[in-house]
Amino acid sequence: MKNLLNPYLWIILLVVGGISVVPILTGDASMREDLFLILMLVVLASSVNIITGYTGYVSFGNIVFFGLGGYFAFYLMQNFETNFVLAALVGGVGASIVAVLIGIPVLRLRGAYFALATIGINEAMRTFVANFDPFGGSVGMFFNYSVYNAYGGAKNALWFAYDGIVVVALATIAASFLIKKSKFGLGLLAIREDQDAAKVLGIDPARAKVIAYTFSAFFPALAGALFFFKNGIIEPDVAFDLLRSIEALVMVMLGGYGTVVGPIVGATVYERITALLITAPSITVLGVSLGFSQLHLAIAGFLLLLIVLFVTAGFVGWLRQRFPRTRRYLE
Amino acid sequence: MSPRIPRSLWIAALLTLAVVILAACAPAAAPTSAPATAAPQPSTGPAPTTASTGGQTKNIIIGFTASQTGSNNVESGKQLQGLQLWLSDVTKAGGIKLKDGTVVMPSLKFYDDESKADRVQALYTQLINQDKVDFLISPYSSGLAKSAAIISEQYGKLMITTGAADDATMEQGFKNTYQLYTPASQYLSGAIDLLGKLSPSAKKIAIVYSKDAFSTTVAQFANTYATSHGYSVVVNEGYDPSTTDFSSFINKIAAASPDAIMGGGHFADGSTFAKQLFDKKIPAQMLVLLVAPPAPTFTQIGDGAQYVIGPSQWEPQVTYSADAAKAANLPWYGISVTDFTAEFKAKYNADPSYHAAGGYMAGLLLQKAIEDTNSIDPTAIKADLDKLDLLTFYGHIKFSTDAKTHGKQIGHEMVYMQWQKDASGNFVKQIVWPLTAKTADAQLRKLP
Repeated sequence: MKNLLNPYLWIILLVVGGISVVPILTGDASMREDLFLILMLVVLASSVNIITGYTGYVSFGNIVFFGLGGYFAFYLMQNFETNFVLAALVGGVGASIVAVLIGIPVLRLRGAYFALATIGINEAMRTFVANFDPFGGSVGMFFNYSVYNAYGGAKNALWFAYDGIVVVALATIAASFLIKKSKFGLGLLAIREDQDAAKVLGIDPARAKVIAYTFSAFFPALAGALFFFKNGIIEPDVAFDLLRSIEALVMVMLGGYGTVVGPIVGATVYERITALLITAPSITVLGVSLGFSQLHLAIAGFLLLLIVLFVTAGFVGWLRQRFPRTRRYLE
Repeated sequence: MSPRIPRSLWIAALLTLAVVILAACAPAAAPTSAPATAAPQPSTGPAPTTASTGGQTKNIIIGFTASQTGSNNVESGKQLQGLQLWLSDVTKAGGIKLKDGTVVMPSLKFYDDESKADRVQALYTQLINQDKVDFLISPYSSGLAKSAAIISEQYGKLMITTGAADDATMEQGFKNTYQLYTPASQYLSGAIDLLGKLSPSAKKIAIVYSKDAFSTTVAQFANTYATSHGYSVVVNEGYDPSTTDFSSFINKIAAASPDAIMGGGHFADGSTFAKQLFDKKIPAQMLVLLVAPPAPTFTQIGDGAQYVIGPSQWEPQVTYSADAAKAANLPWYGISVTDFTAEFKAKYNADPSYHAAGGYMAGLLLQKAIEDTNSIDPTAIKADLDKLDLLTFYGHIKFSTDAKTHGKQIGHEMVYMQWQKDASGNFVKQIVWPLTAKTADAQLRKLP
C-alpha cells in the first residue's frame, strides 16, 4: 500500500498516460497506430524484465505467452462470441496458468539451460498450435469483418484496442514498479545476485521465481489478445515469433536491465529508430540506391553491440551510475 | 512514509511531460515528400480526389507496403518491380490521358513492412492520413493483405490486392477491395480437371502438402474438389515446412499407389520432394506441386523435374492476346505478353515471374479504370471495376459483385506449366492448361 502511494510511480504513469491520451484527444489515427506498437513493446519489454531483469533468468521465449493470450482470446471470440474484454482476461489467466505449469519444472534450470528451455517451449508451442485443429492448425484463425460491428465497426474497434493497450501498459508498468519495491521484489533481486545466499536468508526461490514468471506471462498475454483482435487474423508463425522475443530483450538491455523505466525507454527508442529507418527515404550513393529499411536490423544489431561493449547497464542504468543522485528517482 | 520529492524534480518532470506531449502532437514520422520511384512530377502535397477540367496535370499517389526485408522479400520484390515497370511505361507515355485533355501522373509511395503484420496497419494508416495516397495496393501475402484491408475498408480507400490469393479474406463483404489473383481454392482444381482429361481411368490422388497457411488452404480445397469429382484421396497429409526427408510420406504414397500426387508448398521443400519421389521411382502419372516448378532453377534437380506440373498465376509463355480476346468476345486492354516480357527482361535482366505480372497488372487495372471513367474519383472507379470484364496480358479479369464476395476475382484462371524436354533433351517450360493458353499438350509422367 505504501508503494502504491509512492510519487515516483505516479510520475511514471502520468508521463506514459499523458502521452498515450494525446491521440485519443486529437483523434490522430496515425499517432494511435505508432503508440499502439510502442505501448505493446513496453508491455513485452517490461514483462520480460520482471523475470530477466529482476530475477536474472534470461527468458528468450517469453513471446509464447503473447501468442497464447492471442489464441485463447481469439478462440473464445470466434467460437463463442465472447466479449473481447472477458476473452482477453481469460487469455491472460490461461497464459498465467500455463506459465505456472511450465515454470515449476523449467525454473529449476539455471543460466543458459533455462534460456534454451524457453526457446524450446516457444517452438514446441508453435508446432503444437500449428497442428491443433480447434485453433485452426497451420492456417490459423481470422475474424469476419462483421465481428467489429459489436464494437461500433472496425474504426471504433481500433480505438477500443488502443484504449485497451493503454490500460494494459499502465498496469504492466505499475506491476513492474510495485514488484520491484516490494519485499517480494527484493527477494527476486536477491535470487538474481546469489540464489543460494537468498535461500539462506529465508527466501523460497522456487516459489518466488514461479510467481515472477506468472506475472511476466499475464501482461504479454493481454497484449497478444489486443494485437490479434486489432489485426483480425492470427497464425502460429506470427503469434510465436521468436524474433519479437529477442527484440524485447534488446529493448530491456538498451533501456536498463532490472529497472522500471529502462524497458519503457528501451522499447520507445528501439521502436522509433526502427520506424524512422523504415520510413526514411532511400539515399543514393555513387549511383546506388540505399534504403535504410534494409539496414535497420543491421543498425539494431550494431546498437546492441555498442550497448554490450560500452553501456552494459543500458541507458537508465548508465544514468544511475554516472549521476548517483538520480538513483533516487530513476527506478 | 513516501519519499519527499525535491521541487526541482517536479519541475523537471512537468517540463518533460510538456515536451513529450508536444513532441507526440507532431507527425509521428516525417512524411517523405519524394516518391519512392522516380516520376517526373512527384506529389508533395495532398492529391486531388476528383477529376479536373482540361489541359491540367493531376498527380495521384498509389500507396502500399512492400516486403523489402523478411521472408517474403523475393516475391514481394518481384511484385514491386512489375509495378515500377508499369509506372515507367506510364511516365514514358506522358501520363494517363483523359478525354478532356487532363493528364493523370501517378507516383508510388511505399514502406517496408518487414514481411510482418506488426507494422502493416500503422503504415497503411500513415499512407492514408499523412501521405494522402489516392489508391492502395495490398502488401504481399494473404495475412498481411487482410490486416491492411481492415484499415483500407474503414477509410473507404480503394485497394487492389495482388500477391494475396486467400478466399476467406474476400468473403467478408468488403466494399473497396479488389483481388487480382485467382483464389487459393482454384490453385489445384485445374490440375484435377487436367488429370481427368489426360487419364480418364485415374481414380486415386495423394495430397501431401506443407503445413503453412497458404498450402494447407489450397490442399483443403483440392481435397474437396477431388472428392466431389469422384476421386478417392488416398493420402492427405501435411508436413512441416522445414522438412528435408520425405521418406515416411513417400512410403505411404507408395503403399497407396495413387494415380496423381499433388501438394508441396514452397521452393525448397517442393523441389526436394520432387527429387526424392523420382529417386524412389514412385510411378504416379501426374505430379503437381505448388510454387516450386515455375521457378527456372527447379530443373537443377535433374531428370526428376521432367513432367512435373506447377500452377501459376501467369507465365511468359501464355497466349493471351487481342485475337484471343476477340475469340472470347471480351475487350482487350493494355500491353501484350511479348512486350511485357521483353520490357521486364530489358529493365531487370531476368524473366518476369507471376508476382511481377501481378504487380504490373495492379497498376494497369487502375489505369484502365481511370481512362474508362475519365476521372480519379474513387466512387466512379469502383463502379467501373465492378463492371469490368476484359482480357489483358495477365489474363481474364472480372470481379464478383455479390455482396458477400464483393471484389473477389472470378475471371482469372490459373495456368499450369509443365517441364518437358525438347528434341535435344533440354528442359522446356510449356503451358499445358487451360487449353486456351496452352503452348503444348500435357504429358503423363513416365519413369526412365
